[in-house]
Amino acid sequence: MIQEPTRLQRLWLCEAIRQRETHAGPLDDREANRHAQRAAKDLPGRIQARALFLARRDGLVEALDSLLGGARLALLLLFLLAIFGGAGLAFASVGDGREPINVFWALLGLLGLHFVSLLLWLASQLFTPASPTALGRFWLWITRTFSQKLMHKTARDQRAPNLVPALFQLLERRRLVRWLGGSLVHGFWLVTLLACLVMLLGLFSTRRYGFIWETTLLPASSLIRATEWLGFLPALVGFPLPDASTVLASGTVPVITEAARQAWAGWLLGVLVVFGLLPRALLLLVCWLRWQLGQRKLTLADSISDYSLLAERLQPVSASTGIVDPAPAQLYMPHIANASGKATPESRNAAHLSSNVGHLEQQHTQMLVAIELNPERNWPPAELPAAVMDGGIIEDRNQRRQFLDRITLHPPQRLAIAIDSDRSPDRGTLGLITEIAPLVDAAYIWLLPPQVPPDGNQARLKIWRESLDALGMLYNDTPPWHWLETGRE
Amino acid sequence: MNDLLKFVVVGHTNVGKTSLLRTLLRDSKFGEVSDRPSTTRHVEGATLTVGGEQFATLFDTPGLEDASALLDYLEDLERIERQKHPNQRIDAPARLELFLGSIEARQRFEQEAKVIRQLLASDAGLYVIDAREPALAKYREELEVLSGCGKPLLPVVNFSATGGRLEEWENALARLNLHARAVFDTITPPIDGERHLYESLALLLDSKQRPALEQAVSALEKQNGKRRQSAALLVAELLVDCAAARHSVAPEAEEEAEAKLFVQVREREQKCVEALLDLYAFQADDARLHTLPLSEGRWGDDLFNPETLRALGIRVGSGMAAGALAGAGIDVMAGGLTLGTATAIGALVGGGAQTVRNYGSRLLNKLRGQNELTLSDSVLQVLAVRQGYLLQALAKRTHAATSRIPPPEEADVARSDITDPLQSFFKQARAYPEWSSLNEEHELEGESRDALVGKIASSLMAFSADATQ
Ligand SMILES: Nc1nc2c(ncn2[C@@H]2O[C@H](COP(=O)(O)OP(=O)(O)OP(=O)(O)O)[C@@H](O)[C@H]2O)c(=O)[nH]1
Ligand SMILES: [Mg+2]
Repeated sequence: MIQEPTRLQRLWLCEAIRQRETHAGPLDDREANRHAQRAAKDLPGRIQARALFLARRDGLVEALDSLLGGARLALLLLFLLAIFGGAGLAFASVGDGREPINVFWALLGLLGLHFVSLLLWLASQLFTPASPTALGRFWLWITRTFSQKLMHKTARDQRAPNLVPALFQLLERRRLVRWLGGSLVHGFWLVTLLACLVMLLGLFSTRRYGFIWETTLLPASSLIRATEWLGFLPALVGFPLPDASTVLASGTVPVITEAARQAWAGWLLGVLVVFGLLPRALLLLVCWLRWQLGQRKLTLADSISDYSLLAERLQPVSASTGIVDPAPAQLYMPHIANASGKATPESRNAAHLSSNVGHLEQQHTQMLVAIELNPERNWPPAELPAAVMDGGIIEDRNQRRQFLDRITLHPPQRLAIAIDSDRSPDRGTLGLITEIAPLVDAAYIWLLPPQVPPDGNQARLKIWRESLDALGMLYNDTPPWHWLETGRE
Repeated sequence: MNDLLKFVVVGHTNVGKTSLLRTLLRDSKFGEVSDRPSTTRHVEGATLTVGGEQFATLFDTPGLEDASALLDYLEDLERIERQKHPNQRIDAPARLELFLGSIEARQRFEQEAKVIRQLLASDAGLYVIDAREPALAKYREELEVLSGCGKPLLPVVNFSATGGRLEEWENALARLNLHARAVFDTITPPIDGERHLYESLALLLDSKQRPALEQAVSALEKQNGKRRQSAALLVAELLVDCAAARHSVAPEAEEEAEAKLFVQVREREQKCVEALLDLYAFQADDARLHTLPLSEGRWGDDLFNPETLRALGIRVGSGMAAGALAGAGIDVMAGGLTLGTATAIGALVGGGAQTVRNYGSRLLNKLRGQNELTLSDSVLQVLAVRQGYLLQALAKRTHAATSRIPPPEEADVARSDITDPLQSFFKQARAYPEWSSLNEEHELEGESRDALVGKIASSLMAFSADATQ
């Protein structure tokens, strides 16, 4: 079981989680995000911590574990296959010694498939470097089959299949699939050819083979030249090269002299080493090094743009810095200064009625004033009775002061205050009302019905009513003509 | 931390200050929003992170409510101070200092004092205006108080989508010498509204502070584009999942199978909606799905559909070739002892296995007299339209919105401009039962499925882009 995943494994799991989330939408990740925010400061760190958390939770780590186990088994299988294949190849190419070895046929048998596969590999590097080679696919298939068997039943529900594409996606960001695949292919062939070499050595050491070549069409000299050319490089490393007379002699009867046999066997081994083993070993080295180097360079940064939305969840767009200046325990609200405390509409009404009766000789003045109207309202209203004075519209500070001065000097008996219910009630307006009301004998609020938006902002009307109730004012949304005249609604 | 830009949102009560913060912060849980006055009574800050970089702190403040009385009080304070120190010059900031130290700054004008204190501590103020309101004197008086702080002020004309008095405000602000301004609506922001807002704000700042703002704007737009794309991909996944869903059903179990498939589809759609809301950081119940009108399934095997056969050919062909090659290698290596069996096995396992097995079992099921159930074109069409609408609504929705996303109109569900371009994609998806997570055996990763999902997503994005313009 994986305890601490390696760097590559962590990246792999991140990619697997990312792919899952693109297919099925974000996972339930609140806990994971909290964990990630604690685990790391920077974004890549957080993404990895989150992915690891989710992977552990959802059994992906387990799946990875069995996949790796499967891959190892598959590799072992390929290794055995290569050994047996190599040995078989050797045996099939040289036979059991009862028949003499046809050198060129043997050569073709030993190296032919290797060459074809090498050419195919090179071609695939040119044309489709990203897709795994045939051998790679085969390996993947065995891996999957094995890992399915290895996996616990619970973890089996379709998780592992997502890991393999995730690996490819991850590796392709740095074009590493070809190097990993190359390592596999060349490693496989290196083992095969090694096994073949060992088998050949064994066979050559314990059996007596005769060597022969046959041709119908070609002149013997061309075969002599071919032998020389093929043996040239091996000879540089010290492998024997059959001389022209030996080659010529082998053209008619299988050579039986010991020196000739050794020369032919050495030549065959040399060709196998130099044209088979050596290139594969070199390519394996190149691929393996590139893979190792590239793998070390893999970072989350390669794919960070794919994580930009996740970034928002891990580093939220906004984070409250808290309340800088707390709310007061009690919000200041305007109220009507009144000796008898808060007046109720009823008590005020009653008081006014009695005062009306008591001061009949007092000047009968009625006034209508408006506060902050929509410009569309016709003001003063056309139906304003002649007996009612027009107090105008109060908007700015000057108008406020002037109006207050005016009613202090000549307080009207009844004052109707028109309020536009399109305004939002605020302390300013309510404060003005509370300043005006005590100055007159009776005050009444006319709530003008809403105009904007077209169907009216009924919510505001309701809030006005509540605010006026709190002040203890009389109000209504019908014209106050009757009240102004009689003091009664 | 200290060199982060600080912006404070100020204005009359109930003009949408907290809503503006929610929209800019993309946080529908910030503060409290209601249609009553004096909702916010404290000053609260939040940092805005864009493209991984913190770039500013925004502050929400209580509404100004009684600027006239405050101005009166300021004048009183000034007069008293003059009497005490007849030779001292008292300018606007000094007057505010006096005010902040006075007793009324803790009582009657406590809310106003909070605003002024915060504005003094910030780089600039966003003065929010309700465009439906006439440019009344009280707003001028508020601006007069605020300008005493000596900080740049950007008027943000909010509620612009409700057809407010934009021109009246423009003139009124110009008369106050406030020429930079942003037109906005926190519920239905104008196109590029956010960018214009920040750009106008940048004009008020000094050149040192400007680059941070400009960077943030471009990062924000990139983020938005990315989010829209991810959303479209989620919907495309849903559509592929549903279009490729396919169940083999014995004749006697047909009704039951239909019901089961519909439940699956509804659940899958619900999951998609949840993922979308999550993606945009909206609340889980900001959109409710009306029950999908599912009436009947589509019966009939597509075993000999050209699309099915083509799919079979492509997958088997390439997979087989590769597998056969590997197998052939083994055959030859083993000196022909395996007599070509490895080649055959290789061909089968080389990637075509899944498809062949799938197709084989479907064929077998057909021979057994079973029928195949898929989703009908009309169901896929409804799904596409509903989700297309949702994509559109999500792209436009802000975090200040307080109502649910409405479902598309009945009449719109039949709109073919969304679904027409998708028809051929649906047909293609139907040929690959293994592409649907609703089917038991599925394989969602793979280039051709990804390509199809990508195509559907771009088609959906083109549609929702048209709609937002
Ligand atoms: N249509 C529309 N409604 C808005 C807009 N901005 C705010 N609202 C609504 O107006 C009301 C008041 O919004 P808030 O954000 O609470 O206003 P505020 O300025 O913070 O109010 P206080 O904190 O009370 O001073 C809420 O019902 C919002 O939904 C807008 O641009 N368009
Ligand atoms: Mg508020």
